[in-house]
Amino acid sequence: MVASRALAFIELELRRLYHDPTEVFTRAVQPALWIGVFGTVMNRFRIIPTGGVDYLSYITPGVLMQSTSFIAIAYGIMLVWERESGILKKVLTAPVSRFLIVLGRSLAGATRALSQLFVVLLIALPLGAHLSLNPASLALAVLAVFVGSMGLTAFSILLASFMKTRERFMGVIQAVTMPLFFASNAIYPVELMPPIIREFSLVNPLTYVIQALREALLYSDYLGSLASLSVVALYSLAFLAAAALSLRRIIE
Amino acid sequence: MYGGGVRALEGVSTEVEEGEVRAFLGPNGAGKTTLMRILTTQLRPTGGDAWVKGFHVVRDSSKVRELIGYVPQEFSVWSDLTGYENMLIYAKLYGVPRDRRRRLIEEMLEFMGLEEAAGRLVKTYSGGMIRRLELAIALMTRPEVLFLDEPTIGLDPRARALVWERLLEYKRGYGTTIVFNTHYMDEAERYAEKVTVLNRGRVVAEGSPRELVKQVGGGDVVRVWVDDDLGAALKTLSGLPGVEVVARGNPLALRVENADAAVALVARRLAEAGMKVGEISVRRPTLEDVFIKITGMSFEEAERASYREAARARRAIVKGG
Repeated sequence: MVASRALAFIELELRRLYHDPTEVFTRAVQPALWIGVFGTVMNRFRIIPTGGVDYLSYITPGVLMQSTSFIAIAYGIMLVWERESGILKKVLTAPVSRFLIVLGRSLAGATRALSQLFVVLLIALPLGAHLSLNPASLALAVLAVFVGSMGLTAFSILLASFMKTRERFMGVIQAVTMPLFFASNAIYPVELMPPIIREFSLVNPLTYVIQALREALLYSDYLGSLASLSVVALYSLAFLAAAALSLRRIIE
Repeated sequence: MYGGGVRALEGVSTEVEEGEVRAFLGPNGAGKTTLMRILTTQLRPTGGDAWVKGFHVVRDSSKVRELIGYVPQEFSVWSDLTGYENMLIYAKLYGVPRDRRRRLIEEMLEFMGLEEAAGRLVKTYSGGMIRRLELAIALMTRPEVLFLDEPTIGLDPRARALVWERLLEYKRGYGTTIVFNTHYMDEAERYAEKVTVLNRGRVVAEGSPRELVKQVGGGDVVRVWVDDDLGAALKTLSGLPGVEVVARGNPLALRVENADAAVALVARRLAEAGMKVGEISVRRPTLEDVFIKITGMSFEEAERASYREAARARRAIVKGG
């Protein structure tokens, strides 16, 4: 089946990670700081109302999303680079549709991002985060991270199709990721935010990924998690479609 | 194949025969790469039509993609994977059936002389090895038409010769049609059966290298250094069949149909007239002369510009790898 050809991009990413796994470790530094330093300190002060959950556990899904989403959003730089080399030209002449190329690359970005799920769990659990880790919760968490990262990778490809240089792409990424992170429910409940930011956080896809993660890992609310997950899926599909439409721009 | 009126191209109209080796030759900005990117379905022409094996490059683009192989000017392999892995990923992307994948990959790696390097990361490869890997990838799917954009740019002469030797060997076996862009005159002259010279988006000349040289180059030139009375020598040589005197200084320059025959004739006539001759030299026009004559520009300038482009692509690979 032609659609299965898109899976080649996942294999590409796994083989790359195998040859050079440094990213898995360098990307572990930030979440370690967020959970180990920020999380434990705030946990002691108890100034952020988290609805009965200890702050360390509360922040873990947020950090999980932050860590995976940054990888996904940065993935587009690969395409900016592949345009400078001949790889993108070559790939575009393969008997695979533009949509499958975007889908394949987005799945690849999500695969790379997913590695952080295990890294963050390995950091958070020893530090004392109380997470429900039964198979259903874990499956939902993996799904939330994967579907969310896939959409954000597509978003990144969309951005890349407008950026002609890596420097400009990096600049835009920096301007996008931190606001997305802070205007989400990653480190505090949206109820605490100023009204304007609260409104923004409600259209921020990260908010729904984090919600799906919390419902699965903290509250064992599987139906709620699935509902949030479907919002994430809608976002991801929209980003995939937009990226596929603008992919043509990237090579012209 | 036929291309008509496109932005960087204007009224380009040509047809490549099945099994032909066709070169598109021209300076930077002539539209060679644009043409190839249209034919390989990467760009949609803003006007005009083009077909590959009867399939329209826009309307039947997916069908065209199944028939072609393509190697872009810049590197098109992942330098952080091994040669084998690159072939594997592309094989899956191109839908090479699982049961034939391994055998095909090994066969092509061996054909390109890369079987020993297959397990090494591509970033350790030389430029020639990378090109041969890219060709192995492009030929693995047994394409009917192979498009090569500057296939030997930046390679040393030995690597260039090896790339072509392998390509032609493959063509002998499979009868593949090969379309390539080049700015190397000798490459077009030696390997192409037919050459299309492009300049500023237009076809300015087309034909076999020999025809082009004959048409535009205007015959061979024989130069004679005379150690004797120049006037008498002139008189002896004027009126010889197939010989036209084009410069009357010392040396005399004669435009002739066929230099090999003319040299013997000229030497004999001068000897018969008892004239002393210092030296006779022959100069045959090359495609380069054709190019300069048609485009009015030196090819060296164009070559330098193309080289800068290639160097940039190379740097990008090193930075990214």
